[in-house]
Amino acid sequence: MSAKHHRLSRRAFLKSAAATGIAAVAAEVHARGKDAPIPDASEVTDPKAYENVFTACDMCFNRCAVIARVNGEGQDRKILKLDPNPKCSKSRGMLCARGNAGVALINSPDRLTRPLLRTGPRGGNLWRPISWEEALDRTAQAMREIGARYSRCGMLFTAGADTQSRFVHRFAEAYGSFNITSHESLCLLSVNRAFMDTFGEVPQVDLLHCDHIVMLGANRFESLVMPDSADLMQAVRRGAKLVVLDPRCTKTAEAAAEWHAIRPGTDLAFLLALCRVILEEDLYDRAWIESNTHGLEALRAHVASCTPAWAEQETGIKAAHIVRAARELAAAAPRAVVYPGRRSSDYEDSTQIRRGFAVVNALLANFDRPGGLMSTPAVKLRDIPFEAPWFDDNPADRVDAGRVPLLFNDEGSFVLTRDAVLSGQPYPVKGWFIYKTNPMGTAPDREKTAAMMRSLDFIVSVDIMMSDTAFMSDIVLPAPCYLERDDPLFVLQGGPAGPCILTRNRVVPPPGECRPVFDVVKALAGKLDIGNAFDFTLHELRERQLESFPGLKTTLEEDGVFEPSPALYGLKKGRPYKTPSGRIELYSTLYQQKGLDPLPVYTPPAAVPADSFVLVAGRTACITQTQSQNNRLLAEFAGTNTLWIHPAAAARLGIGNGDEVTVRSSVGTEHLRAELTKGIRPDTVYMHSGFGALASGPGLAAGTGASIAALFESAYDALCGNAALHTTRVTVQRREGAA
Amino acid sequence: MRRAVLISLCLLCCILLADLSFAVEGNTRKGKFLYRKNCRSCHGVSASDLSPLSKTQAAWKAAAASHESIPCVKDWPQLSAGDRADIFSYLYAFAADSPTPAKCD
Repeated sequence: MSAKHHRLSRRAFLKSAAATGIAAVAAEVHARGKDAPIPDASEVTDPKAYENVFTACDMCFNRCAVIARVNGEGQDRKILKLDPNPKCSKSRGMLCARGNAGVALINSPDRLTRPLLRTGPRGGNLWRPISWEEALDRTAQAMREIGARYSRCGMLFTAGADTQSRFVHRFAEAYGSFNITSHESLCLLSVNRAFMDTFGEVPQVDLLHCDHIVMLGANRFESLVMPDSADLMQAVRRGAKLVVLDPRCTKTAEAAAEWHAIRPGTDLAFLLALCRVILEEDLYDRAWIESNTHGLEALRAHVASCTPAWAEQETGIKAAHIVRAARELAAAAPRAVVYPGRRSSDYEDSTQIRRGFAVVNALLANFDRPGGLMSTPAVKLRDIPFEAPWFDDNPADRVDAGRVPLLFNDEGSFVLTRDAVLSGQPYPVKGWFIYKTNPMGTAPDREKTAAMMRSLDFIVSVDIMMSDTAFMSDIVLPAPCYLERDDPLFVLQGGPAGPCILTRNRVVPPPGECRPVFDVVKALAGKLDIGNAFDFTLHELRERQLESFPGLKTTLEEDGVFEPSPALYGLKKGRPYKTPSGRIELYSTLYQQKGLDPLPVYTPPAAVPADSFVLVAGRTACITQTQSQNNRLLAEFAGTNTLWIHPAAAARLGIGNGDEVTVRSSVGTEHLRAELTKGIRPDTVYMHSGFGALASGPGLAAGTGASIAALFESAYDALCGNAALHTTRVTVQRREGAA
Repeated sequence: MRRAVLISLCLLCCILLADLSFAVEGNTRKGKFLYRKNCRSCHGVSASDLSPLSKTQAAWKAAAASHESIPCVKDWPQLSAGDRADIFSYLYAFAADSPTPAKCD
């Protein structure tokens, strides 16, 4: 089924959908027709026949600036094409495949268009359309009851990386709950933790001016981060050297000067050996290091035994290559970086591993200098303050507090929160408000997430499509997609491109009865007697924000983007770093105070049993986790996932290319087709994230490919609680009798 | 009677300790509530903007120790020592160089 979908053209899919009537399955859910056309760029021929609307993409977290070409009026208004906004430096005048495919959200048969009430068991796909008034009354009543019975912290709030998620956070605070989580604790918290605790902030990277880049695990030519992905391409074209260490040969590895298939989980051994070579051979800028860092001699003693020969045994990378890598990095410094990366939800010691990344960068003396790591210039928009009420009966802290020593207070840990909900300790959490995020598809151990949801008294989801998480909810509220709503202004940091301010203007009307989450929480706040937290309109908030900079309003109207152009380098000159010592902490004072390892200590990964594999996950440029799974245009390029497996391992198991295989971990079993490739280590298998959905609808996703969430186990980072996905070991078998 | 004296002594100790070691004893969550209620009514509206990020932990600690010399102290509403400890605990816990700097206020 998966392979078939992979080859299905858009036209063929539409025909097929009409013929089989799969859209009828959820006819009561989806008011829009299955045959609704996807806009075609070829329609844009006469520049006078359309108007331009400035907005920003939301097909991933990058939010690239967009100009929508639109014509028609009222309900007939339609998008002809989405183009990049050439005036936005951060997005480098680019709009990727996913950005272009945003048009497929409009008229998608998978869109939610009416509030729905669950009428069967959770996940049973039985719904009854209800009015907004009934949906809001039921939600407010449930929240009142949970607050009265379990305290206000009995409600959990989770919002995705959306510009309106800020209103969900505000709503949670106004309601009185401390329990707010986001997607971040399934993604990047450990890299943030490590760099904050070393540099006092999470730096950006100046790849545009960099001459030597070592990239461990990151895949910037597929997993796009702007402007890093575009700048890396420019740097490589200019002659910068790119070295990639990854268990599999990604597109980034293919474009690199060197690819080393490092043994999974051994990055820190490589990094400590780099430190040893740089220090032993005196390859660092002594004056800069002495005036900017704390703990050099402690680091020197710490890495004394971390020889390249030792690191070779751990990583599988030859000692001579490690020595050369250190010398080449140091020679190019300060225009040299060990790329910090983004998703670091991989190991239980990921924060310490990423501390290794940070420490090598510090030794390269690259911070706050062109071609290195960059301090973040402050750009702040005005806001409308509010007073949240205080409830004396609330517990002392978050439900996941105290389980790891360096939890981020605003983010928490989804994995630890889920454990707390399931155990009922330290106190019961019985309600969940979810906005546009899908832990059933992205958090490890899907069955455990489902068990958590089954244990709750009430769940309300606000989303644009029926995600697996919405599928398990009691009430589902339809939201407009980013092209169908106005948004508050927001600031994006752009590294060497500088920061910018964008907003979204409604391009076309939303389908059916969709309401933005701002309207939802404002209405609920009114019913819960906390309306004072939302005593303004979105327009009034935007007006307040527009007062932040002279010329902001006019520039946004004329160009669609405002770039305040602050200084980008030398921001730390004469200013202390935001760390306890006021310096870059090679040796962490905070960790020492908390009884943690103040220098990054290498922990060898658990051995992989002979009949097992390390499971790793990632994505292509056409995938944004489960967010892209129902997009008809993207499905033509990335319609399903496969299991990357080395031919030698496959031969041992009797698996041929394209065979359907069964993948088992300790928490789940999934089926997908094998893709034999020498571009992966024999002890590792890989699959794309974002497939294997449970929710059935008229779109392509349900049953397509395998879910990483079903297979990954629930380990977490010991310092900050970020998920640790790559500790999972799986077995693989040919699936007998499969077509 | 003896019990009442003991309780009074304990309460007195608690108040003194809260004042001396606000960073440990204060309730940061209550402090955020009190800060919004008592400080944000001016700061960010008619007075300069203010948040935990405005200072380092050391600077907040120093400010708490000599709060009488803070320029706007005469405009403060009536605050108990406990309330003040809660507010400074919040500002300290989410300061610019703290492990979890405030995201918003």
